[in-house]
Amino acid sequence: MTLCGASRLLASAVLALSGVPASAQKAAVLSPYAGVYQPQGIDEVGMWREDDESERALAASPLVIRDEKLTGYIRDVLCATVGLDRCGSVRVYVIREPVFNATMSPNGTMRIFSGLLLRVRSEAELGAVLGHEFGHFERRHSLAKFKAGRSGSDLLAWSGLLTSMVRNYTVLRAYRDLRWSVYGSLFRYGRDQEREADLLGVSYLNQSSLPPQAATAVWQNLMGELAASATARGVRKPNFNAVAFTASHPPQGERADYLAALAAPEAASRNDGTARYREALAAWLPLLLDDQIKLNDFGASDYLIQNLASDGWTADLWFARAELYRARGNQRDFVNAIQFYANAIAMRDGLPAAHRGLGLALIKSGRQVDGQAALQRYLQLSPDASDAKMIRLMIPGGSMQ
Amino acid sequence: MKNAIVAAALMALLSVTFQVPSASAHKLRQKGEAVTVADSRLTVTPQCDWNRLSGKPGKNAETWTLDGGQLNDLTFYAGIEAGKPLVKERHKKKDPLPKFGKSTLLVELPELLEGTYRTYKKIGAFQLTSTAPARFLGQDGVIFTYDYTDADQITRKGEATAAIVDGKLYMVSFDAPRLHYFDKAIADVRALVATATL
Repeated sequence: MTLCGASRLLASAVLALSGVPASAQKAAVLSPYAGVYQPQGIDEVGMWREDDESERALAASPLVIRDEKLTGYIRDVLCATVGLDRCGSVRVYVIREPVFNATMSPNGTMRIFSGLLLRVRSEAELGAVLGHEFGHFERRHSLAKFKAGRSGSDLLAWSGLLTSMVRNYTVLRAYRDLRWSVYGSLFRYGRDQEREADLLGVSYLNQSSLPPQAATAVWQNLMGELAASATARGVRKPNFNAVAFTASHPPQGERADYLAALAAPEAASRNDGTARYREALAAWLPLLLDDQIKLNDFGASDYLIQNLASDGWTADLWFARAELYRARGNQRDFVNAIQFYANAIAMRDGLPAAHRGLGLALIKSGRQVDGQAALQRYLQLSPDASDAKMIRLMIPGGSMQ
Repeated sequence: MKNAIVAAALMALLSVTFQVPSASAHKLRQKGEAVTVADSRLTVTPQCDWNRLSGKPGKNAETWTLDGGQLNDLTFYAGIEAGKPLVKERHKKKDPLPKFGKSTLLVELPELLEGTYRTYKKIGAFQLTSTAPARFLGQDGVIFTYDYTDADQITRKGEATAAIVDGKLYMVSFDAPRLHYFDKAIADVRALVATATL
């Protein structure tokens, strides 16, 4: 990762972003990757030490999804995006947390949050996000930020001292939270750095086998979701700061525009890997959907489900939508839920939870007999279900045995 | 802007660090003494000494512990009305929690607790492990078990008993780390839940 011609080219491109029409801008041509990098200077050595410690904890975390196939696939997409020489310096961890986020820390730890996997729809879109994060890593933005914001670590030193004077858990927890927020702000990049990472991200994609135009689609999709969430909650304006990944990023609209302008037009016809992505995620989709719909964010969840269904509805999608409506629990929602469960069952009868939900929704909308029949079917399909004893009580002649 | 945030964070930390014990401090709940919980008529008689923590998680909720809230958390939800969440919402509009409803069925109460935990803690790792009928407060109720992992990376087990009385929800949940603490206290918790009356 030596500074070279490409970086000057990049810096000038970044400067050029202000005031030059987007169509006139060019994504950088990447330099060859310098290979294994060792931290230099006291700041960076210290940062890496913290980072190595944090990765050790992460590697043992119960929240990491340990599926070699899935992790390997994501790694392959990263390699296809940034190139084999670059991706050798990265360890990928998939974390089960239903948020749109991915981070990459100075020592090469890439954290992919499961909520991201639900939101991108192709290898190209995933590559766009991973490439952007890799861009921060390659340009060592966190170090620059760390040096600029070292007052943050002074604050931590003082608060650590104060904390050590009072030993109780509430204080320790407050300190821990403060530590996270201070480090969090250290790793929140400035807008110029975000633009630079965007440029690099598009450059990777331009030189890959994936279409770079996907980068724009990711942001448009996210804006759509945030707007849908706000509308359903009756909140006036989407709060872009609520999404970790977009908190300090350039305005979404501007971003979608310049990302589109930087993408090589001749690359638009490349295969974006939608089919491959869907196949790789198929086994995980029910779990990702379940984690999402239970977040009590009706607008965002419904938007995501409909978005996923734009290429055709599946039993899993109908079921997730039905559960979402049943959970919201207005009388009108039960009517919709009943229809959605029926659609799911029509596509795949062997989905026990769909019969369960259908039964409960029917009972709640006053249709006892039909509801009990659906619950009966649920127990037939899944006699050892974790709530079988409870459901049996709801069926005439049922007993706890 | 960042400095302002940092300053505010430091002030918050200082205020916690040097706080004086307030009037609503933790309280001892002694073995054999019947007490009402969560500002309601729900009465329990502990079979061993517990600590009632100051600060309520919600208007109709109260938390007890043996060794500290992170190691054993016994929370009473007493008389949650239809349309209300289990605990206090951070923001009614921007960050709403699932609500107990008029039409909520007993078998859906585990889903209500699950949705509340997932939404409040912003987690995905939560699993309901069993749901069965139970008697609680002299009514048909439900007992269910679950496990989850939240931000502190410790996997906890939980067991909750609930019933709906006169359209209001009454529930006692017990959460503790899966390692050692859950099994150590669950017998005491079940004995305490068995003494609950309205």
